[in-house]
Amino acid sequence: MERDVAIIGVGMIRWGRYPDPKQLDVFPDKTMPEMAVEAIAKALSDAKISWRQVEAMVAGVYLWVNQQAGIHGILSGTAIANLMGYTGIPIVSVANACATGQSILREAALAVASGECDIALAVAADKSAFGFFRPQSTDGRADIDYMRFVMCGETNPAYWAMECRRRMYEAGTTEEDLALVKVVTSKPAPYNPYARYQRSFTLEEVLKSPIVCDPLRLYEICSTSDGAAAVIVCEYEKAKKICKKPVYINAVTVGTPTFGDPTVRLTYLSSYKKPGVPSLSESRNAVERVYRMAGITPDKIDLIELPDNSSWHYLAYLDCILNLNPGEPEKMLRRGDLDPITGKIPTCPSGGIGAFGEAVVAQGLAQVCELVWQLRGEAGQRQVKKEVKYALAQTYGYAGNNAATILSKGW
Amino acid sequence: MTEKVKKKVPIVEGLFTWPSDQPALIASRCKKCGAIVFPKATYCPNPDCEKNSQNMETVQLSRVGKLWSWTIQYYPPPPPFKMEPFKPYAVGMVDLPEGLRVLGMLTTTENLRFDMEVELTVGKLYEDEEKEYITWMWKPVEKACKK
Ligand SMILES: [Zn+2]
Repeated sequence: MERDVAIIGVGMIRWGRYPDPKQLDVFPDKTMPEMAVEAIAKALSDAKISWRQVEAMVAGVYLWVNQQAGIHGILSGTAIANLMGYTGIPIVSVANACATGQSILREAALAVASGECDIALAVAADKSAFGFFRPQSTDGRADIDYMRFVMCGETNPAYWAMECRRRMYEAGTTEEDLALVKVVTSKPAPYNPYARYQRSFTLEEVLKSPIVCDPLRLYEICSTSDGAAAVIVCEYEKAKKICKKPVYINAVTVGTPTFGDPTVRLTYLSSYKKPGVPSLSESRNAVERVYRMAGITPDKIDLIELPDNSSWHYLAYLDCILNLNPGEPEKMLRRGDLDPITGKIPTCPSGGIGAFGEAVVAQGLAQVCELVWQLRGEAGQRQVKKEVKYALAQTYGYAGNNAATILSKGW
Repeated sequence: MTEKVKKKVPIVEGLFTWPSDQPALIASRCKKCGAIVFPKATYCPNPDCEKNSQNMETVQLSRVGKLWSWTIQYYPPPPPFKMEPFKPYAVGMVDLPEGLRVLGMLTTTENLRFDMEVELTVGKLYEDEEKEYITWMWKPVEKACKK
């Protein structure tokens, strides 16, 4: 990048349901822009700067626009600025599905790296649908998501389950491995004040939970949640002056698929396979590029936040991030190498998306918040035991999007 | 009392040949590079190929393929999905000789195996007073029928 960039402040609200009829006292009613404002206020206070010092803002577009936000969802950045108070800065709203969080971090970092400004803010908030995600239109001619949903009955977990079943067949992944993912990722969840489910699970509990789409069980699939997070980036030399522990952004990027990838990704009805093109290429492309930008190799990564939307994701994305063969992540998991606090490569010390639930556009930023707290040594009882040089966050997104970020200590 | 035979109609038109005794999925093929897309597309998806809609011809896909993977959906999905009465159903991904991997429901949840032969058929999801609404489905090929 032209100029170096660091993170000077992060903020998040607790993931949950806004409103949740059963838990109104815990999760009071809030709109998406209000949730975003809360996250921004926390990030500003963390960075000890004022809203007037923010020179550019990028916002994640609320995915559940039709249901919950209307035009404000499409113009989320403008709606948030309306609540924060207009200051005339450039504001852009971005939609890249679950990869949105780090896509907007990239936009904010590029604004600073290019010299357009010194301080930029990435913010995302989302309220997800209850239960299974569903298409947002009823256009049978043009909306491929509508087609796959009504014609094939393919829910998101059904897609994950098909990939999972084939992995079990090819790599020997067992039902216990799948359950173990939840046991391991939920270990630090009781110590994360921002997680929706602040509890850990036993192997027996997970294996006894009902099958949703076999082989995946209820506790092996993340729920849908509401959530918001904000990250403030700053030109590195300036960051060192205004902040004791600026977190250096080594690289942040977005990946999309390669033509010929055999993956029939969500919303699509088919794929056209070409020999030699790997599956999940959007993820591999993002990861390859983020390593290249950072000038490091996968063996240098000390800490990972990945998209554990299901137990299958956890294993498949470790293949992508660490360049492993299917079956190897399973062995590492059984050996304890991936323990979120004490492991050789602590993975998902936040408790992961399993503990948070999907607040679609916000989760990529939530991962970055966690890495920032871990690098600064501010993660309390879930602080990883090892010394962390490079930390990586990665999120895949609906329909062929992926984003990845590498961070390190900037002090 | 005679039962009225209801007209069978696809929920979304244009995805498979209908009416037909041997329904087939309808795809586009690029005359320049041979790339195939399902459902039909206006432009060739090959990044190195011309974006000229004239290059795309409509083709019917092979009716038999191999089951790459599947799952059984135990919980009813929300609208707009509709199946009456709801019962757990299988969804699979099928590899066709054209190089396509295609999604679709399966006619059964029983005795499914990796790489087994499956054939394209249609099945009912729901009906109203007038019509029966159908989609394409993959049906295991009976080994005994194979010559
Ligand atoms: Zn072509």
